[in-house]
Amino acid sequence: MYRKQVRRRRAVLVGLIVGSLILLSAHFSEAESGPLHVIQRGAATALSPLEAVANAALKPVRDGIDWFDETWEARGENEALKEELAEVRTELADAKVANADNEQFRGLLALNEDELAGFGFEPVTARIVTRTASLVNGTVGVNAGSADGVEPNDPVVAADGLVGRVTQVTSTSAQVQLITDPRNGVSVAVAEPNGAQGIVSATAGETDELSLEFFSNEDEVSANQIVVTAGWSDPTSGLSSAYPPGIAVGAITETSAPDVDFQQVTVEPFVDMQELTYVQVLTGGPKRPGIDGDDALP
Amino acid sequence: MILTRWINLRIGLIVLVAVLAQVAFFSYFKIFGASPDIVPVVIAAIGLLGGAVVGAVVGFSAGLLLDISLLETLGVSSLILLTVGYLAGRYRESFEIDSALGPALVAGGLTILAAAGSTAIELTLSVDTPVSGAIVGAAIVKGILAFLLAYPIYPLVRLALRSALVLEEPRTARRRHPAAARASGGRRPRIFRGRGRRARAPGSRVRRVTQAGTHR
Repeated sequence: MYRKQVRRRRAVLVGLIVGSLILLSAHFSEAESGPLHVIQRGAATALSPLEAVANAALKPVRDGIDWFDETWEARGENEALKEELAEVRTELADAKVANADNEQFRGLLALNEDELAGFGFEPVTARIVTRTASLVNGTVGVNAGSADGVEPNDPVVAADGLVGRVTQVTSTSAQVQLITDPRNGVSVAVAEPNGAQGIVSATAGETDELSLEFFSNEDEVSANQIVVTAGWSDPTSGLSSAYPPGIAVGAITETSAPDVDFQQVTVEPFVDMQELTYVQVLTGGPKRPGIDGDDALP
Repeated sequence: MILTRWINLRIGLIVLVAVLAQVAFFSYFKIFGASPDIVPVVIAAIGLLGGAVVGAVVGFSAGLLLDISLLETLGVSSLILLTVGYLAGRYRESFEIDSALGPALVAGGLTILAAAGSTAIELTLSVDTPVSGAIVGAAIVKGILAFLLAYPIYPLVRLALRSALVLEEPRTARRRHPAAARASGGRRPRIFRGRGRRARAPGSRVRRVTQAGTHR
């Protein structure tokens, strides 16, 4: 009797492990239009109303905890801020000089917004309803889907800048891969002075900073320079970046010792992904060569 | 654990609530770089109460639901959580749970294992960027949070599944009718409830024991 139980237990365990591995490899290797993805999206569509209700019901509790947390932090910060005030006064003069530069950046960003409007994007406002607890992947679920015109690879932005891009879509929801997800690379350009380009991507386990890679040693950069999406497109090769040009990504925080060809630059994203509640999905943009599903480039 | 249709439904509801609470609430918070993860804690609790087979099956189902909900690669969370459920069940079948510390330690340890496992699979599948050492610290923080969360979650799951636990000791003796007491000469009648071998010393309270061990 006991042996029979042990055999049954082992059979169940082996069956489930084999089932998981088959599911994993089949889902990972098949295309977005494959049967497993279709079933997953169907089930996710059925689940999304429940997620939306749970999200709305738990929002007051989340807000309460956030308020408590912020109040607690503010108390500690109060003393530190008093000390900083003295330093800030001395820096005011420098800030006035820097203000002139900021005006230029603002103008640049406004220009970029105009460019986006010129591209024909139609922003769809969506609320974040799910988040992953993964230590590696950074994805969120939003309550807008194909019924709202959302398509894979649509850029997602917030008031402060670039959030990520849509990777999977159901009729009522979509998965957004954040720029802090190490699977997501974004081709960017330094806004000033020379428009030097590189690719920003996250380091697995680091959600507060991005690495700017393939950034030539010959390009001079310094802290506080703004980085925007490069949005390159090459009709001859039929390849494009998934992101349109000119969306603010972050600011350079430090540059490290350069190697032979490239220098390592750290970028802090403008958007605080943890505090994000609402985003805008830029739908209906122009067709970009090579961007039609799985084969999107950074 | 006696699995009736009603108990299966309860387990399903517990899993659904845990997954929804995770994706819509707990994942919004970051404490020292890690979000609290209640799904492994709930699966560990079910494994501790139901045994290895129940834990593995429920873990697999919860993982599937989690991957569907987040539109992530199917099978990753299933593989991790079925392992959590199975190991929790094996612990229950091998050791006696006689304090609140045991389930909390099991949940904390298995959550660290789950975090390490899912991180390894995710890194293998699709990440080709450098990996920060902070990820190790975050996994440990997840384990500590799970240890703390297990203190309220384990009793709640146990309460929800109480009617299915064959090893439950009755809290209060049922009051007997005076006529029945007179007829038996003041001795208590033998009462058999549920399955399991009964071990009872004369005059003691009813208690059941199975091969797996006892629950208090």
